[in-house]
Amino acid sequence: MKKLILKSILYIFLILLFVEVTIRILHLYTEDPPRFIDDFGVEKRVPGHTGYSVTGNRNQNYSKFSINKSGFNSYREFTPTASKFEIALVGDSFIEGFHQDFDTSTGKKIEEQLPNKEVYEYGYAGYDFSNQIHLINAYKKDFDLIDEIVVYLNYEYDLDRGTYEPDYDRIKMLSSTTFKIRDNIKILAYGSKIGILEPLKRLVSGKPIEDEEQDFKNIDEKTSDEAEQRTIDLQRIENFKSLIGLFGFDKTKTALLLDSRKTSQLFLDYCDQNNIDIIDFGENFKNSKKPPTLIYDEHWNNHGRDLIALSISNYVKTKRHLN
Amino acid sequence: MLFNSLQFLVFLPLVYIFYWFVFKKNLKYQNILIIVASYVFYGWWDWRFLFLILFSTVLDFYLGQQIYKNTENKKKTRYWLWLSVFFNIGLLGFFKYYNFFIDSFIDMFSAVGYEMKSTWTLRIILPVGISFYTFQTMSYSFDIYQKKLKPTKNFVAFAAFVAFFPQLVAGPIERASNLLSQITTKRIFKYNQSTDGLKLILWGFFKKLVIADSLAPIVDDIFANYGSYPASTLILGVCLFSFQLYGDFSGYSDIAIGTAKLFGIELLSNFKFPYFSRNVAEFWKRWHVSLSNWFKYYIYIPMGGSTGSKLKSLRNVMVVFLISGLWHGANWTFVVWGAIHSVLYIPVFLMNDNRKYVNTVIAENSWLPSFKEVGQVLLTFILVSFSYIFFRSLTITDAFSYIVQIKTNFWYETYMHPLGYRMLDFYVLLAVFIIYEYIIRTDERSPFKFKNPVVRFLLYAIIIMSILLFYDDGVNRSFIYFQF
Repeated sequence: MKKLILKSILYIFLILLFVEVTIRILHLYTEDPPRFIDDFGVEKRVPGHTGYSVTGNRNQNYSKFSINKSGFNSYREFTPTASKFEIALVGDSFIEGFHQDFDTSTGKKIEEQLPNKEVYEYGYAGYDFSNQIHLINAYKKDFDLIDEIVVYLNYEYDLDRGTYEPDYDRIKMLSSTTFKIRDNIKILAYGSKIGILEPLKRLVSGKPIEDEEQDFKNIDEKTSDEAEQRTIDLQRIENFKSLIGLFGFDKTKTALLLDSRKTSQLFLDYCDQNNIDIIDFGENFKNSKKPPTLIYDEHWNNHGRDLIALSISNYVKTKRHLN
Repeated sequence: MLFNSLQFLVFLPLVYIFYWFVFKKNLKYQNILIIVASYVFYGWWDWRFLFLILFSTVLDFYLGQQIYKNTENKKKTRYWLWLSVFFNIGLLGFFKYYNFFIDSFIDMFSAVGYEMKSTWTLRIILPVGISFYTFQTMSYSFDIYQKKLKPTKNFVAFAAFVAFFPQLVAGPIERASNLLSQITTKRIFKYNQSTDGLKLILWGFFKKLVIADSLAPIVDDIFANYGSYPASTLILGVCLFSFQLYGDFSGYSDIAIGTAKLFGIELLSNFKFPYFSRNVAEFWKRWHVSLSNWFKYYIYIPMGGSTGSKLKSLRNVMVVFLISGLWHGANWTFVVWGAIHSVLYIPVFLMNDNRKYVNTVIAENSWLPSFKEVGQVLLTFILVSFSYIFFRSLTITDAFSYIVQIKTNFWYETYMHPLGYRMLDFYVLLAVFIIYEYIIRTDERSPFKFKNPVVRFLLYAIIIMSILLFYDDGVNRSFIYFQF
């Protein structure tokens, strides 16, 4: 019995070591550059980090990121001046672009369509409209020099609050010892990414282990009723008004990038009535013969980014009367 | 409780520690622990149905005594046996087949123009594993009746035999002569038995989590949308289902046998590389062996087996396959599946080839199989896979439509994974799995029988790694045979 126990422990240790080494060699784990909240209350990445973001169990999507001096994933530094023409893209993970090589981003594609223009991508996974509008206000000095601002609005998720508060607790949690251990032991980072540690996490957090479907049910139920949906839409419009009231919204150079197929008509009407420019990429996506999103998640693939870049550059060309 | 759950990962070591460290010296306490652990294991799913197991246990314990007591009186002993059959089949019939027969009855009347309302159907939950443990308890009564076994007077041992958790919900269906005798005997810890058990558990997890679970989304997609796929995809769907089913059920059996070994108990083998069978008769000696043996010993042989005329023997074969089909589920699809197998079996039987491959394996004395063997194996696989169209389809209409679709949409198109994964990964996985199974084909109970410890270690590590590589947290992890 003693032999069995000792040998089992030895085997478990050696197998874990083998798995750890394999995960490292094949780079199956994903890297997540550290985050912080700066003096302006903007949540972003710690500058200077490079690495690879990996999706799926078997490296199904593998892309390089590079965090610039401003703390955002981009192929260029953000140095706006009055003499240059700059476009700012502000948004969540779609703009941050960890699902693509940083040098094939939407911004890069826009620059290819609009020569001599610089595109600054202020993207950060988890940003909603309050983060975005607060950022524009917080970096007012820079944004005053920027000529066009495009805010990516994922209507279904980005208008759920009407105020902005930096989430210091979340940043504290992410930089805690537990998370540092998880990120440094790659078997844990990998296990966490593929969801195999989910039952254990649920157990530790006191949630029922087999309650995975509940969250999905709630989302479905939320939007099932039309009257309820209208209440939600009105609340979202209120949140939008509240945020632009708090942080300002320069209609002369700011446009909302959105998919009209996933946006409420009430909100679209509101934008129309208030002369808020919209760049709708929904039609382009709908008419596309090739899929515009990645296979493993909903982020834009190379073709999708081409379409987005085309929509934005066409908007800028038309507005600024460029050839 | 599922074998592939976090709960079981905690449950098993706990029971193991109590079994070997706390109650090591007392057989009775060990058996009580088996009962408690088994009831917790089963009750985790739905504690209310524990009463059914308890009822079945008490009943068959009592009836076993009565059958034995009246051995001299044929009429009486037969009466007690029929009582056991009546209650066990009654339980099974009510919980599993009641609605099926009512619905079939209504359908039959509506087919002749007489519409009936379905007021007799009930909302019945099918207790997990009922088909398995009722067959096991019936085997006890049959063995006593056939004078192959003396009834035990030890109720604790008998209850442990009925509820033994590794095989309670999906087999292997044990004969009392094998399992009960081990439960009534003092178990001694054996190092080799335990390591063999752990190896089988690992291999079972690989078959379930990697083979079966990774193929499940593909099979589900193809069978759910068969109307929009070409023949190439539909054929792929059936072939992959064959491997999914095998990985799922044989994986479960391996985990069950391995777990039992940890407790010093040897269960019967249930799968012996069935897809290397050279004809359908051999397939049934290698597929779900414990069920095949049950039907052989308790239905086929008592009906006369192959000792009577050819016609009678054929009748016996057909009856066994039809009952086997119905045992799998309360649906006509399973009955047709059984009927197909009887049709496939009959030519082999008539040519006296049904015992041709009893104790041999493909490429018995060589590295590679002969062309003839490859042809035989492929043909058997194709025939068996064809029958799975009925096994997997939800209705008879679906099954026939699936076949018609293969015929009418007879062209090739590259199949894309429903979740977007590279299909090549799965083809490579299956190819490696088939090759590995071929290498170990002589001994189903020793999947890592390699002398070199480094090779063995690498295999364990690769299996763990592949479980991670193919793990998908969106997949329904329950076992297919739980529904039976």
